Amino acid sequence: MHGVALTAAGAVWRRQYLVWRKLIWSSLATNVCNPLLFLFAFAFGLGAVMAEQEGIAYLAFVVPGMMAYTSMFVASFETTVSAFARYSLQRTWDATLATSVTLEELLLGEALWAASKAMLSALCVLLVGGLWGGIPSWAGAVAALPILFGAALGFAAQGLLCTAFARGFDNFSYFFTFWTTPMFVFSGVFFSLDRFPESLAAAAWLLPMPHLLALVRPLTTGAGLEPLAAAGHGLVLLLYFVIPFAAATARIRRRMFD
Amino acid sequence: MAAPVILARALEKRFGEVRAVAGLDLTVPAGICLGLLGPNGAGKTTTLRMIMGLTLPSGGRLEVLGRPPTALSRTERRRIGLVPQDSNLDPDLSVVQNLLVYGGYFGLPAAALRRRVPELLAFMQLTEKAGARVSQLSGGMKRRLVIARALIAEPELVILDEPTTGLDPQARLLIWRQLLQLRAQGKTLLLTTHYMDEAQRLCDRIVLIDGGRILAQGSPAELIARHVHGHVVEVTKPVPPALTGNGLAHEDVGDAMLFYVAAPGAVIDRLPPEAVYLHRPANLEDVFLRLTGRKLREG
Repeated sequence: MHGVALTAAGAVWRRQYLVWRKLIWSSLATNVCNPLLFLFAFAFGLGAVMAEQEGIAYLAFVVPGMMAYTSMFVASFETTVSAFARYSLQRTWDATLATSVTLEELLLGEALWAASKAMLSALCVLLVGGLWGGIPSWAGAVAALPILFGAALGFAAQGLLCTAFARGFDNFSYFFTFWTTPMFVFSGVFFSLDRFPESLAAAAWLLPMPHLLALVRPLTTGAGLEPLAAAGHGLVLLLYFVIPFAAATARIRRRMFD
Repeated sequence: MAAPVILARALEKRFGEVRAVAGLDLTVPAGICLGLLGPNGAGKTTTLRMIMGLTLPSGGRLEVLGRPPTALSRTERRRIGLVPQDSNLDPDLSVVQNLLVYGGYFGLPAAALRRRVPELLAFMQLTEKAGARVSQLSGGMKRRLVIARALIAEPELVILDEPTTGLDPQARLLIWRQLLQLRAQGKTLLLTTHYMDEAQRLCDRIVLIDGGRILAQGSPAELIARHVHGHVVEVTKPVPPALTGNGLAHEDVGDAMLFYVAAPGAVIDRLPPEAVYLHRPANLEDVFLRLTGRKLREG
């Protein structure tokens, strides 16, 4: 139509921010305390019995893992359960589309907001985990933040795609059971993929999470990235944004406008 | 003559097998208030959504401000404001924030909004509620806020889908007064309503639709004169057979017979002294019921 205006997506982002500010305490409980609880459980509990993973001290292994996990969880939750409430219960999307905002801009605003919230959670994990001693390279951690943001946009887009097909809130249990949970437990978040049989490990690389970890973990530990491999992982993450975003937009357009 | 604000020709919308709008011709000139009336499921909301570009037509031609609604540019969209049937305000935000956020969606600069928001609050008598959360507002206040929100970009076309449904008489009166003021400012209003007194009071022109087609159109007075002849005499049964046999327009409504006449004497003078009857001026509701029938609709 008329291209996608970042200012219009920004107006959508701002609306979410204002609502978030009103509900800040419950938001912080889910988005800050939740990942920190996981971090403490893994670092204290598992850390006591886990050996080094991939040659890295367990705390330094699990902190970037939790940063990636929380980015995924927060971004996915925002564009599934929360976005579906805006779409079907509050009819916020209808209200927004009766203005100058186009559907692409609305969904981009949703994704940008989800990724922003994801960053807030990842930053909390980074600060707490770092002060605890789980971040050998602070410079690397800073470099990892834009990567986490980009990946969170992808997780948000995957959530939007699920929302595009959802008939009710129950439908999201499929998404969380068969999409986000495997990325939590089978993707190298809190222990290495080496522990799995080869076929399962190979299958895990079809998911975006191992690619994100392959970028973030070498940065926070200070091991550094190998450019060509990094570009490959980056490309996978990019496709995991572009394809679900385009599919979600097309599906929601049919659903709302036809 | 200036180009019409809305022009529809053979406009059609199908949902699967259902033709919600089945070949609608509609011309809305600038500066009038047009009422789109019809029973539930007549195709009113679908028509409004197509005009807003929120539903894509299946066929026919539709132009709003001279262009297909989906081809309107970002700034052209500011010229149209929508008051939807369901209040889709942001319940967690304050009254002012709702207006600011909506202004942001239209890309209005902050300076313009600082001037516009207090004006709108005053216009819809919400100034005292400026800082209140929407979830704390009464139904009437929410409705006024939805109208204020639709006016944020100073649109020239305002589309209102049942603006006063569910409101008490005081709240309706206030909204009517403000809508009449908008019309006096030269804005074009397109509204749907189930209240015939509302349509009669606000609308210059009525388009009555059912089954996605136009049944009748004209000014309220024209429609009343044409379809129900100005007066209604309701005669409780039994009705003398002479009355129904002499070409007077009439309708059987169960325990009574309605006669639509230009002069009430045509019926009253022929009634026996013991007859029970009620005479009143005909109104738009008579037109509506006469043309769309008295059967209850689903939905």
